[in-house]
Amino acid sequence: MIPLALVWLPVLGALLLLLPKARARAERILATVGLAVAGLAVWSAVRGDDLLAWHGWLCADATARLFLAVIDPIFAGIALHSWHRVASDPELRPGMARHVALSLPFLAACNAVVLAAHLEVAWLALELSTLVAAPLVARTGTAVAQRASWQYLLFSLAGLGLVAAGFVCLDRGLVAGGHDPELLLQPLRHGLAAGATAWSAVGIGMILLGLCTKLGLAPMYTWLPTTYDEAPTSVAAMLGAVQFNAAFVLLLRVVEVGRPAHGELITVVLVTVGLLSMVVATASLVATRNLKRLLAYASVQHGGVLAIGVGVGGPAAYGVLLYAASNAFIKAILFLTAGQIHRHCQTKDTGAIRGLIQALPYSGLLLMLGTFALLGFPPFGSFFGELLILSALVETQRMAVFGGFCALLAVAFVATGRTVFPMIWGNAGPAERRPGQPIWGALPKLVFVGVLVALGVWMPATIDALLRQAAGGMR
Amino acid sequence: MTALLVALLLVLLLPLFVGKWQVSLLGLAAQGLLMGWLACRWPHGAGDVSWLTIVDLLLVRGVVLPVVLWRVLRARAAMSGRDGLPPNLLTWAGAVMLLLAAFRAAEVLAPTPALLHLQVAVAISGLLLGFLVLATQGGVFAQVVGVVRIGNAVALLQLGSGHADWVLALAHLVLVGGTLVALRHALIVVREVPAATSAGRESPV
Repeated sequence: MIPLALVWLPVLGALLLLLPKARARAERILATVGLAVAGLAVWSAVRGDDLLAWHGWLCADATARLFLAVIDPIFAGIALHSWHRVASDPELRPGMARHVALSLPFLAACNAVVLAAHLEVAWLALELSTLVAAPLVARTGTAVAQRASWQYLLFSLAGLGLVAAGFVCLDRGLVAGGHDPELLLQPLRHGLAAGATAWSAVGIGMILLGLCTKLGLAPMYTWLPTTYDEAPTSVAAMLGAVQFNAAFVLLLRVVEVGRPAHGELITVVLVTVGLLSMVVATASLVATRNLKRLLAYASVQHGGVLAIGVGVGGPAAYGVLLYAASNAFIKAILFLTAGQIHRHCQTKDTGAIRGLIQALPYSGLLLMLGTFALLGFPPFGSFFGELLILSALVETQRMAVFGGFCALLAVAFVATGRTVFPMIWGNAGPAERRPGQPIWGALPKLVFVGVLVALGVWMPATIDALLRQAAGGMR
Repeated sequence: MTALLVALLLVLLLPLFVGKWQVSLLGLAAQGLLMGWLACRWPHGAGDVSWLTIVDLLLVRGVVLPVVLWRVLRARAAMSGRDGLPPNLLTWAGAVMLLLAAFRAAEVLAPTPALLHLQVAVAISGLLLGFLVLATQGGVFAQVVGVVRIGNAVALLQLGSGHADWVLALAHLVLVGGTLVALRHALIVVREVPAATSAGRESPV
């Protein structure tokens, strides 16, 4: 029941918008549905049972419950942020119904990806989430936004096309091994474990590369900075924190079923792609002067860290999940804050923004905390996640990867700090000061900061158990 | 069947050697129609081919996509031959190397029977050449062609894979739908985006 509700509630919310009266209150529908779905997701995470629905095609196992408890509350926070924006600027109201009509199916599709116990169903839902997100990216209607939306769609289609080709190869591999061509997780796990074939190896390789494209990892990462930069900030947060994690869950599922037969291949592909992503992201972090692009490159870098962690598997599993969950909240905080800063300063040029802590106290504070979390400072969850991944690299004797990882992190650390900290503490001109930011606009982001700290210093026992259970699946 | 697959391989390669957008479009249409013909004549016992696949290949990939693309190009005031792979020795060498790699991969994956071997080789060639177009070209038209080529290659690989349930059919439809949405986007980009240089205004939410 709960898995179905997590998919159908947003769809019903979107259908409500067919009523003219409901369209006038679109932002309230978005926030209400977002909060209801978040409540259900958190309740299902705390309850702790694996739930099946739709004849076993949807399954709320530990991994699904963990990620639903991350992405649904984040979506609710973004919805509340949108409500606040519309309330404080009524001129935005006309476009809201369309925004909500696309955002709610997006949430339904992302939840379906996380819950799907069938690889093709997950793929389908991911493709649908992409198709509804593309018009959201182009929402401002400017030429650059249209092009960014086009690029997002194009690379997503190419990546997901590669994944589809990988599924066909897996099918053929199963047939060659004398099994039914079935992509339900459980039979697929047994079918692949029974014997590796060249077909299944090619299939796994294609799926990994296709999903890495969808996650914005090198070499096909160029769509990500453009899209995150040009998309409305709430949409960038949705793509970075919600859809990214949905696609990441699909990657985890593929790795989980493929590792027994193709563990070495998975490690080589993911560690290579991860390191390559970290290299290109670090170089871009050094060069960029655009705040949203800086966050986008940081996303590419974190994608790289996650890919390396998943590639190493075993001892890194807990760290990977903790890092992924923390990162989702960090991206939501930073993208929503970057939007606020852009609106106030009318520029994304990091060199032209100064003294945020005086001009926009909450935004300055949130940018500071978000950046500390982004850079992996304690006491945030990202610090411990990164530490666990690093210790897993040492434990598995991958010292060259460990060395490269540390060097790239150090450069990214300096480059990000050098760019962001003057924006926070530099001197604001008198015209830039604007005291009196209302706290309720910053409230969702402050709650996200609280969650980040909790993940680092006070992990609730139920969430810790969920993380361990999900990490067990990755091993 | 073998003749059809060889013809398909030629159709995949020819536009890369000519470098004119009209030839690219004709090539796409021919790919769809040839694959549709192949699906109609698919031998019994070598995996089922659904009617949906046939409609997709013949109608959507053979007719609709090339026609919509034709409209995209007509919408573009000054279409030059530059919006495609440049017909030079480097491109040709790259294409031939990818072709050899595809046949080598097919040798490993499906050494026998001959029909499957050729089908896999042509499908992998299509996939690799699609990515070659996508990776080396920045123009809207060339990128659409790249994505459609990749979609065609996936469809060819699916032929006779022995897996034809409703999920796959739905996946097929969504992939085609996605490609059509991408084409619609391409139309907007070509019509409304003369140059992507100005910074966008901040969005509503």
